[in-house]
Order: sequence, then structure tokens, then C-alpha cells
Amino acid sequence: MKACASSWLRFPAFALPAARFALLTTLLSAVLLAPPFKTTARFFLTRAQAPPTPAIKVVNLIPASLSGESNQDSEPFLAIQSENPQVMVASAFTPNPFSMTGNAPVYVSQDGGKSWALNAITPVQHMTCDITHAMATGENHPRGDLHAGTLACASGITLDESESNDVALGATMNVQSTRGNVDQPFVRALGVSSGDRIYVGVNDFNQANGHTATIDVSVNGGATYRSIPIEMRNTAGQDGPSVRPAVANDGTVYAAFFGWRKFNGKTATSDVVVVRDDAAATGANPFRALKDPTDKLPGLLVVKKVAIPWSNAPALGQERIGSTLSIAVDPNHSGTVYVGWADKGSKGDIYTLHVRRSTDRGVTWSKTDLPHTTIHNATNVALAVANNGAVGFLYQQLSRGRWVTHLVQSHDGFMTSQDFVLATVPADQPVGQFLPYLGDYDYLLSVGNEFRGVFCANNAPDFANFPQGVTYQRAADFSAKTLNDGAGIAVPISIDPFYFSVPVIP
Amino acid sequence: MKISTVFSSSLLGASLSLALCACANAAPQATNNSAALMSQSSIVFSGTVSQLAATSFADVPKSTQTIVVRVDSIVKKPAAVSLKKGDSVTVEVKDALGFQEGTQATFYTDGWIFGSGVAVKELGHVLGPAAESAPVTGAGPNTHGAQGKISDQELRDRMNKSDFVVVGRVTDVRKWNAPKAKSGAPSRVTEHDPDWQEAVVEVQSVLKGGKVKGNKVIVRFPSRNDVAWVNSPKFTKNQRGIFCLNRDQTTGSPTTGQGANVYTCLGHGDALPISEEARVRALLTNP
Repeated sequence: MKACASSWLRFPAFALPAARFALLTTLLSAVLLAPPFKTTARFFLTRAQAPPTPAIKVVNLIPASLSGESNQDSEPFLAIQSENPQVMVASAFTPNPFSMTGNAPVYVSQDGGKSWALNAITPVQHMTCDITHAMATGENHPRGDLHAGTLACASGITLDESESNDVALGATMNVQSTRGNVDQPFVRALGVSSGDRIYVGVNDFNQANGHTATIDVSVNGGATYRSIPIEMRNTAGQDGPSVRPAVANDGTVYAAFFGWRKFNGKTATSDVVVVRDDAAATGANPFRALKDPTDKLPGLLVVKKVAIPWSNAPALGQERIGSTLSIAVDPNHSGTVYVGWADKGSKGDIYTLHVRRSTDRGVTWSKTDLPHTTIHNATNVALAVANNGAVGFLYQQLSRGRWVTHLVQSHDGFMTSQDFVLATVPADQPVGQFLPYLGDYDYLLSVGNEFRGVFCANNAPDFANFPQGVTYQRAADFSAKTLNDGAGIAVPISIDPFYFSVPVIP
Repeated sequence: MKISTVFSSSLLGASLSLALCACANAAPQATNNSAALMSQSSIVFSGTVSQLAATSFADVPKSTQTIVVRVDSIVKKPAAVSLKKGDSVTVEVKDALGFQEGTQATFYTDGWIFGSGVAVKELGHVLGPAAESAPVTGAGPNTHGAQGKISDQELRDRMNKSDFVVVGRVTDVRKWNAPKAKSGAPSRVTEHDPDWQEAVVEVQSVLKGGKVKGNKVIVRFPSRNDVAWVNSPKFTKNQRGIFCLNRDQTTGSPTTGQGANVYTCLGHGDALPISEEARVRALLTNP
């Protein structure tokens, strides 16, 4: 119980000290009795014998000065300034709080995630309809260099690839590349002495022959981009929306995508495909290092022709489903790579997560899911690998009417693991304002000896919902379990983004 | 009363502030300026300058242009923004030389950074104490998750960008399937699929734009509740309202099968209830 005990000392700014003791019993009961812990209770008991666990941090991102908001701030993302990890940028479907025509904002932390401020710097008006970002280096830009991929959806859908050298200044990001007819940009970046290398996975409907899975590559900090199709096989007219790059420190770049082979409106029959490039995608024909032995074409088929349910309406609780995918490479040992996705799974499941691993640079993969990584009725898989090789597995599971957010870590391919429940919240509240309800993705990164990430959840200020503790910046009364606008006027619950930091297992 | 209104117009120059004495013949202009500033501003408050070249919370970059103002009264703010009497606000002013510690003014501002406190950018200010305690009025889009009332300025902008502004009634709503591309390319599948519908709008009067042929127009709108279209109006049969229409440049098929123009109505505030007619007419009359 050490993890729980240590987290107990972290209270939200608005919590009353008198409430602490009264809530102790509730919290411990919730931790022990919550269904997701049944499978992990053994580990918790084991950890009770270990040295004190460094603090776990869970922080609601909504600033105190926006305590009156009740938007559905779903689909979170996170970037960390690698040279100065005190600086981070997070995002969600958060609208500009004061104008329909002002820029869509991001959340900026300059103190390692303890506090966050909303800064309207993206090039999109009011609110993005997709945003991811990454910070590659920091030697010249102590509060940057942020590279973002955003979709603007005012009329039609437009991709902007943009940059900020100082995310705290408030200046609108500089748009470096723009085009229409694409979907779901997903940004990763690697800093090198010659300039940032940026990799943006997009589903690009401009590509010929339905080979829509694409990586936009810049090797000069975004000054120029090259769009590289990574699908080499026949498709059902297109690939799935998610195209995910992952970059190792040695310049090895992987990307995963759903190769849609058939689509009937409700189910995509899909391959899970992984491509690799060994030279940072700087060559003439990048992402062709992996060839599948069955057809000799670039792109290793990790699994073939799995059924992936597609629903643009609520299907898993209030959430839509259809394209959750993640890939992560060991930053220091680029031969080790993990991929996670969801498909129809076993009978009775709506959506089932899977995680597989390759230890030979993607040439061969585990034939079955890694132990304990077949997760029923779950979505938003996000994988990351820490400097010491530990893999983190973030996901959100619909369990007994609650959205339960897990972070699982392992050193040995999930033979043994540590599982922290970061949040367990009612799934039927609040009523969704739009889709996605929680997000088509959440995100996980590693920096130093921490896993850091973001997820979205019902923001009711209730300690029982956050077994590792939680800090709210916005005005909240944890005794009454209510929100207010800072002046005492009640504010309804909504979906908020939450930042977390969890120590990497040694 | 001294009014200092600094506009971004280069006509005024970077360091020139327009200062008007509170003499009788200047009052109408002052009133007009204040009204214009009120319309443009999302956050308006009266306060007392407490620090120069300072900020009220750590997330705001400090400069010679930033001052800290203690709030005496709130005139206008979005509901989402937590701001009350006694709070300290960082204001990035246009001309810091116009302020000293203890200066009292009404600040017309737009939001800037929202953290443990509020930081705003000055659009203009009126020196002197608040004349009287003014009621807080809503501004901005975020009122507890619902689409708030569009501001005058934003509505004016929407109408300026519209080809037509009409008063009308929806007589029919039907699904519309985009015709298949001549290239044979399949339609795209994305989570942002709008699932287009068509509304037939019977035009009762045209407030902006030319005559409407046949007094009926086809308006395409997204029925999907995806984030991309959450701010787009959704039409229902027998709905009456004021509609800001643009010729369809979004669906890829800008005419009906009979060659008539098709319109879209996609932005927040593009479909207003009929109760807004007087405001719309007034804004069109006094742009």
C-alpha cells in the first residue's frame, strides 16, 4: 500500500485539511475494492515491502482562472521539452475561452506539471478538431521548440504544421506547411545538431491509389516537408485514420498504421502494419527497411486481416471506436519496439486491446499478445519506453459503468507488471457534448525516471475517483464533490484533461 | 475624465495615444469610442494600477508593457472566466507611460493567458474611477458548455462574410449523399465525416444579399456530432430563424441537380432564433 499512502499526502488546493482524515477510509476502500485492482492487488502487496515510492502526480489541467468552464475538453496530448522537462505543452479540444474567432489554446506548464496556464497560440480559430505536438530540442529555445500538427474544421478540414520558439509568449505559432484533405496528424520529433527532425503521421487522401497512410517528414525544423506514402498494398480505398510514428535516439524511425483491406461501413478488415527507416527518413526511399516475408513488400504485417469495428456514434459507453493504435521504441535500443491496437476481439467484447513486441527491429513479433495485455472493452492505448527499458502501457477501460484509466509498467514484456489506476469515474456522466467523448487518443511519454502522460475524464472532485490522489487548479469543493466558478456559483461537471507523472519502475 | 484609446491602426502611431479632455463637445466621441471598445472587448473591468512592469502570476512574461491592476468592478467577462473584485489582473498595455501606481481606469481588453490568474491585452482604456457599478454581462462563447450568445462584434463579422442573411423557415430536412467522383475514387471515411443533410429554407425576407430565386434555398449542414462540426447549426423542420448563408464551397458539389446554387450555414451564430431579428437588423444598419 505504499503507493497509496504516499499519494495520500497530495491534496488539491481547494481541499479542506479536515476532510483528509475522513476521506482516508473512503480512498483506501476504493483502491482495494475497485474491480481493476483485483488483478493487481498482489503487486501492491509486494510493493508494500519496497522502499518508499516517489510521488505520483495527477493534476487537473483547467486553470483556476477558468473555473467557470464546463466544456468537453477531450482528446488530450502532451509534449515535453527534453532539454528542460519543467516545460511542457498539453492540448485538448479546449475552445478559446473568450472569443469564437481567437486562436485555439494549449496548456503550458513551466514547473514540471504542478501548474498549467492556457495560452491561445495555435494557428487555428477557436478550437482545433485534431492537435498533436512535440518538442525536439531546447538549446536555443528554452520554452520551445514546439512543433504542432493541427486540423482546422471551420469549413472543410485543413492541416497546419506549425512551430513556436517560445510557448509562453502568447505569439501565434508560425505555420510552415498547410494543405487540405488529410486526417489525424500525429507529430513526433527528434532534435539533432543540424535542426529538428519532424515526423507527422497523417491519413492523406491526396495520395494515389488509396495508399493514404503517410508520414510528412521534415529534416530542417519544419522549413520544408516531404510527404511519404508508407502503404504499399491494395487498400479498401484508404487506410485507417491512425498513422503513428516513433523515433529512437539513433535515428531509427518506425511507423504503424492500419492497412484497411476491406471496409463495409461498420467493420474494417485491417492489417496492422509497421514500417521502419534506419536513417531518420533522410534517404531517397524511406520506410522500406522492413519487408513482410509473405509478399516481400515494405511494411511488416504484425497481424493480418483483423476485424476492427468502426462507429462514428457512441459504441463503447459514450465513446466512438475505430482506430486506436500506438507504437513505441526503446529510445536507447532501437531494436526493441512495441505496438498496441484494438480490434473486435473475442465474442462479447466491443473493443479489445492488444500489445505485441519485437526485439529484432520489427522483423519478427510476438505471435500472441504479451501477457496480461489483452484488455477487454478498452481504448486509447498509448505506449512509451523509458530510458531503462521499462515499457509503459496507458489505456482506458469501460468497466462496470466506469471509465478506468490504467498505467501499467513492465520490465519483462508484462510477465510481471505494476498497474496503477489513475482514475475511475462514472461513464454515464457527464452527457457527451460531441464525439470523441474522451478522445480518439490519449498520450504517454517518458522523461528521466518518469512516465508522464495525459488522459481525459469526468472532472467531479471526488477523491474516490482518483486512487493515486489528484490536484485541482480550478475551484472545487472535495467535501461537497462540486465545482464552482471561483466566486461560489456552481459549475456542472464536464470532461477535463488530466496530467500525470508516475515514477518509472527501477 | 480622460480617455486614452489606442487602436492598432498605424494612423495613430505606436506611441501616440488619443487623449480627449472631458469637455462637453468631446463627450459624444468618448461615448462612441467606449461603445465601440465595449463591443470589441471580451473582458472589461475597472481597476486601480498596483504595479508597473510587473505581472500578477508567474506564467505571464513580464515586460515594460505589463502592469498589475487590482479589480474594482467587473463590467463584462465570459462566464468561464473566474474574475472578481479584489483580484489582480495582468494587463499588457499599449502605452505604459500612461499609467502610474494608483491610476484608476476602466480597461477594455481581450483575453491573453489564463493560469492561476488572468492576463489580458488592452484594446483601450478610460481613465478615472468607475462611474458606477455596472452589472456583469456575458461575453465569449463558453457558458457552461453550451453555445453562448454570439457577441455583436462576432455576429457583425459573420454577417460581413456571408453572401446572404435571410429570415426564413425550414420546410424540409433530408439526407444528402455527395455524388460519386468521376474518377471513381471511393468516398473518404474519417471520424470527421459530416454526414451532410439538406434543409429547404423558405425565405421570408432578405436582410443582406440579392433577391432569392423562387424564394427557396437549399442549405447543406453537417448532422454529425463530431468535434469538427459541433459549432455548426443543425436544422429541424419548421425551424424559423435568421440564417447567414454562404455559397457552398465545402461539400464539393455547389449546385443541385437542377443547377441551382446551394448554400452552407456552418459557423457558430450562422443560425439565430427569430427573436434576434431586431439585433441583426440593427447591426446591419449600423455596421
